[in-house]
Amino acid sequence: MSDVVAQRGRFWSFDRAWPWLAPMVLMLLVFTIYPLIYNVWLSFHEYVPLKRKLVNVGWDNWKTLFTDARMWASFGVTMLYFVIVLTIELVLGMALALLLDSNTLGMGFLRGLLTLTLVVPPAITGMMFLLMEDPSFGVISYYLEQLGVLSADSPILSSSETALAGVIVADVWQWTPFMVLILLAGLRSLPSEPFEAAVLDGASSWQIFRRITLPLLGKVIAVAVLIRGIDIYRMFDYVFVMTSGGPGTSTYTLSLYAWQQTFSFIKWGYGASISLFSLFVILVISNLFIKISKVRW
Amino acid sequence: MVQSKSQRILRALLAWFIVGLFFFPLYYWVSVAFRDAKEIFDIPPRVFNFSPTMKNFEEVFGISFGFGFGEQREVLPGGGNWYMMPRLVDSIIIAVGSTILSVSIATLAAYALSRINFRGRHHFVGWVLSTRMMPPVAVAIPMFFMFRDMGLMDTHIGIILVHGLMNLPLAVLLMKSFFDDVPTAIDESALIDGASRWFIFRKVILPMAKGGIAATAVLCFIFSWTEFLFVLTLTQTGLKTVPVVASTFVTSTGTAWGNMAALGAAAMIPAFIFILLVQKQLVRGLTLGSVKQ
Repeated sequence: MSDVVAQRGRFWSFDRAWPWLAPMVLMLLVFTIYPLIYNVWLSFHEYVPLKRKLVNVGWDNWKTLFTDARMWASFGVTMLYFVIVLTIELVLGMALALLLDSNTLGMGFLRGLLTLTLVVPPAITGMMFLLMEDPSFGVISYYLEQLGVLSADSPILSSSETALAGVIVADVWQWTPFMVLILLAGLRSLPSEPFEAAVLDGASSWQIFRRITLPLLGKVIAVAVLIRGIDIYRMFDYVFVMTSGGPGTSTYTLSLYAWQQTFSFIKWGYGASISLFSLFVILVISNLFIKISKVRW
Repeated sequence: MVQSKSQRILRALLAWFIVGLFFFPLYYWVSVAFRDAKEIFDIPPRVFNFSPTMKNFEEVFGISFGFGFGEQREVLPGGGNWYMMPRLVDSIIIAVGSTILSVSIATLAAYALSRINFRGRHHFVGWVLSTRMMPPVAVAIPMFFMFRDMGLMDTHIGIILVHGLMNLPLAVLLMKSFFDDVPTAIDESALIDGASRWFIFRKVILPMAKGGIAATAVLCFIFSWTEFLFVLTLTQTGLKTVPVVASTFVTSTGTAWGNMAALGAAAMIPAFIFILLVQKQLVRGLTLGSVKQ
């Protein structure tokens, strides 16, 4: 039907797809493809302050990129952060979703309350946790010291062992509810027959979760992991306001490192190379993930 | 599943406790907004026992609320260091503008992706999705130089364009999923009756997808309202949105936590109201249309 209609129309016609798509394509070309090309061009140049202009430096930026220890340190931090945060948010989100999947005693209200964390600007979330993790008057620091978990002379965000954990807490606070909501929607759409049959057969709760719930939720979990994973990988706001990457390189993410190289150290070309490298990595990871998990839009 | 009464109560208590833990930082932040500076820095930190004041809000909004807590003060309209009304106006202009931009472009594109068969449609959807994967920093760096050359730095229109673009993949995929819900039989019978695609789009499909458009608009608004990196990079002195300006409340004598919290708390209110309005479509929106509630 649609095919017939598409062929019927003349070129200048709303029966064709292109007039509908043109504004979007134009926007995407101007604001993603052109910047991408510009970025590639920039990565082969470098700003020379003495000459006040960009100079062609060939492959220098790319050679630096593969030998720069700080760049690999931030790549490591990005990957570590990615794995830890994604795991915590998924496991905690699943546990909370199972807990809240019930109709008793105000569970709907609790679900509504959880959505509020999602709309707090992440930069403000960063400031919130910066305040609460302050070594002298922060509530989190104070009570952790009282509990003996932390010692008073090792501030959370300025000790290299705990700084990343301090940032992770902010991310987990803000985005675990994201996982909870999506997994809950998945849980609520599951058919009840397999569960009833399993209960009749005397399966344990863990067996039911492992053999029925998880496989049936596969697609929903994959979508949640994909979307959350992309955002965790490119995280910038929390580290920018909480630690600026420090102490040392312990909380440098790739996004932050690229941004600082460009705008703080005026290494425009090198910053562009790092940002392209980071783009390349996430495109490979997410496309592999889409292939393996067979997520489709 | 079969649960005894005590198990159910235990489960509910646990749920309330954990959600309470998640709610605590929000409570604490809002309470800081109502505090005088000295009650923020007390050790041990005060959680519930503080004497509320409107001072921080009065300084941020530049108006005297003339009620409540503590003594009345003179407030300089537009005077003080923490007067933030212009920044709130900037935020509103940008969020509304970029929402209109991305929703209108996305609605058109999503109709074609949902209804008109053409070669490579599947790849097209994939392309839109892949732009969602771009790290913002990879766009922001070249955009900085583009904007500088085009004179778009520090302009509302520049940020509106960037936020509109940022939300475009979300808006397109989400609107497509809402259009997919409208049965194609409606289009087909109207086409046979001789109606044009454009007529069907305006008079039939758009009214039926109203709820979807509203949900898409709300999410676009929120993501523009909370965005940080692009505004940080593409503005210098002229305009700033709330998240960016709030992160700069640092002075030589320390951080103005009370004022920052007041601004942050005030900025959260519209987002809270909006998110509660679209609870039903929220999961679909967060998953770019792929998980339906």
